[in-house]
Amino acid sequence: MKLRRNSIIREIDFIKLFLNGVGIIILASILALFYNSFSGRGISLIGSWSNRILSDSLIVPYSYQEGDPQAITLSEAMMEFQSSNTIFLDARSEFDYKQGHIKGALNFPFEEFDDYYPKVAPKLSRDKTIIAYCDGTECELSLFLTRLLREEGYQYLKIFLGGWEEWEKVGLPVEKGENHSR
Amino acid sequence: MRKGKTIVDKMWRNFKKIINNRYTLLVFRLILGGIFIYASLDKIAHPDQFAKIVYNYKFLPHSLINIFAIIVPWVELICGIFVIAGIFVQSSSAILSLLLVSFIIALSVNFFRGLDINCGCFSTDPKGKEEGAILLIRDFVLLAIGLQIFLSNLRRLNNAK
Repeated sequence: MKLRRNSIIREIDFIKLFLNGVGIIILASILALFYNSFSGRGISLIGSWSNRILSDSLIVPYSYQEGDPQAITLSEAMMEFQSSNTIFLDARSEFDYKQGHIKGALNFPFEEFDDYYPKVAPKLSRDKTIIAYCDGTECELSLFLTRLLREEGYQYLKIFLGGWEEWEKVGLPVEKGENHSR
Repeated sequence: MRKGKTIVDKMWRNFKKIINNRYTLLVFRLILGGIFIYASLDKIAHPDQFAKIVYNYKFLPHSLINIFAIIVPWVELICGIFVIAGIFVQSSSAILSLLLVSFIIALSVNFFRGLDINCGCFSTDPKGKEEGAILLIRDFVLLAIGLQIFLSNLRRLNNAK
């Protein structure tokens, strides 16, 4: 008898606990939505996080905006690769770069921009076309890298968004190890 | 053999005594609440950046990312305040523990997928893994604290009846 009463009390406790929890979440949601509409820093309730398709073979990440450096396709990247007037920049980490990268590309990790810029800058030229790439379409490091380089005064910037993934898949020239930037 | 067992027993009893001490529990509440309040303020001030981080985890459908980024920091803030102030401590610590469980699941899944949370891209770089491991350990410690607050309150309420 006593045991049953205890279990009933526990049950009621858990219902109360659950209802309190729901109440807290509703309170937080109301405050959050209220703040989001009136703080001036709010964001839309449903964001646009999908990749966009610019043309047949050109998919850009959601963060790609008008006015960003030109995005190029795999075949355009191949053409540029054959030109002597082009420098490829690998915006991924040094570790990923050493595992394999586009032949002749310089490593310039976006996340360590300040460390790498003094080392890579002497090897760049403001007259040459600079093509940045990273992992693939989901990756924005190359986009961010070119935005920073533009602020440094580089004009001929392009982004190969297909990146390492596309380049490697079709068996184009690659190399491993050795960091040309160091 | 027997001696060893009693020593372990004694240590376990002492450990339980310490973690159930009312001052220890108060410190636990301050730690859990404080960390969540601190963590929530930056997210509330920069919802766009927090939404970006949520996106990088590649865990939620795109349509839910923003609403998650708007509401969750406020849940953290309110529960953090409640846990410290001693209002609805049980429900608040339960919610925070559930949040921690979901963070742990999201972190560890991405850990094994080899996803670099910072850039949202797949990377085999061990540096990213190191950061992930530290975050995981931190979340597990907080989860232990959260559960202890929840359970000790439950015991106290039952004893009171």
